[in-house]
Amino acid sequence: MFFHIVLERNMQLHPRHFGRNLRENLVSKLMKDVEGTCSGRHGFVVAITGIENVGKGLIRDGTGFVTFPVKYQCVVFRPFKGEILEAVVTMVNKMGFFAEAGPVQIFVSNHLIPDDMEFQSGDMPNYTTSDGSVKIQKDSEVRLKIIGTRVDATEIFCIGTIKDDFLGVINDPTTA
Amino acid sequence: MSEKGGKGFSLPTKTTPKSALKSTPASATARHDDNSARSKRGRKVQFGTEGLTDLGFNFSSLKSDGKFAIPVGKGDWAKGGKGEKVVNGGKAPVAKEAKSLELRVEQELPENVKCLMDCEAANILEGIQEQMVMLSQDSTIKLPESFHLGLQYAKTHSYYTNPQSVRRVLEALSKYGVSYSEICVIANTCPETVDEVFALVRSLEAKKSRLSEPLKDVLDELAKLKKST
Repeated sequence: MFFHIVLERNMQLHPRHFGRNLRENLVSKLMKDVEGTCSGRHGFVVAITGIENVGKGLIRDGTGFVTFPVKYQCVVFRPFKGEILEAVVTMVNKMGFFAEAGPVQIFVSNHLIPDDMEFQSGDMPNYTTSDGSVKIQKDSEVRLKIIGTRVDATEIFCIGTIKDDFLGVINDPTTA
Repeated sequence: MSEKGGKGFSLPTKTTPKSALKSTPASATARHDDNSARSKRGRKVQFGTEGLTDLGFNFSSLKSDGKFAIPVGKGDWAKGGKGEKVVNGGKAPVAKEAKSLELRVEQELPENVKCLMDCEAANILEGIQEQMVMLSQDSTIKLPESFHLGLQYAKTHSYYTNPQSVRRVLEALSKYGVSYSEICVIANTCPETVDEVFALVRSLEAKKSRLSEPLKDVLDELAKLKKST
């Protein structure tokens, strides 16, 4: 889910950036450092929407760098346990399938796929129901529920399920 | 006599050996001791937030007269509209799983966080992208990969033309105790029936009786606001 959140960060600036454009330099350094990163608590920082406040800079002893506490608003994307997401399938194998929702990767194990769906290997590996009416393959859109999350240094990885009511394939790329 | 608290759970009290449970006295007291010992310790096991697999309970304290206080709905620790707690050890695993899959956004994020619906996020991110086009003379500033993925995701999942009217329609639900994050989940999943809402947002099941009627009206309103694709 997307969130609008205010975060704070201490930015260190080298004296060569001081001058008229101090604030611009600070903001662009902030954007370079923060946008695209991901943390366990807040999720992916997708974009910075504004700077709320830049505090007084503190000169560090010995180095000449100055530390500014910056408060900024940003849009973050964080998946939650229990959340319903619509994701696009990227890979299918006999252990389950991988899907992507925005910047987040989700894995659905075959234990969490309804029992009436079987894995079919081949050029386009897929999961199909016994009567062939529903198929999950690469580029299918699937609605799933997040049941667990794991955070890495640079990305968030989730486990999902489609073994629940109102979950499963939304859009079959072959019929679209 | 032991009293039934909440949804029919009864515990044998110390003073009255006769219990409503149809078990032998030995096993009844054994179970009672176990329960009271467990609750006397006042153990509080926190639910892992960072993807840990530990699941835990919060036990209320057992009052001396044997009545077990089971908070229903919003307690002082449950902000997300939780259902009742389960005390009986035998039933625990089933309840554990149901609880673990409920949305607990408000507890896990700080107070000043605002949930965004996908359509609102799409508007904001598109605005930023337009700004970046102007700023792109500075080639060192580049939008990160996650921005493009996030924008694409938000755009494909924004089913409504006007986020403000969607917000207004869903605000009507908040007076029935539906939290902000649950409202966002409803808006994002675009449900067609009331059953779908209760199946997808399990934390609302506790208020099913109160919510069914207003939810039906809200879903009809939302259907009118949907983009025709």
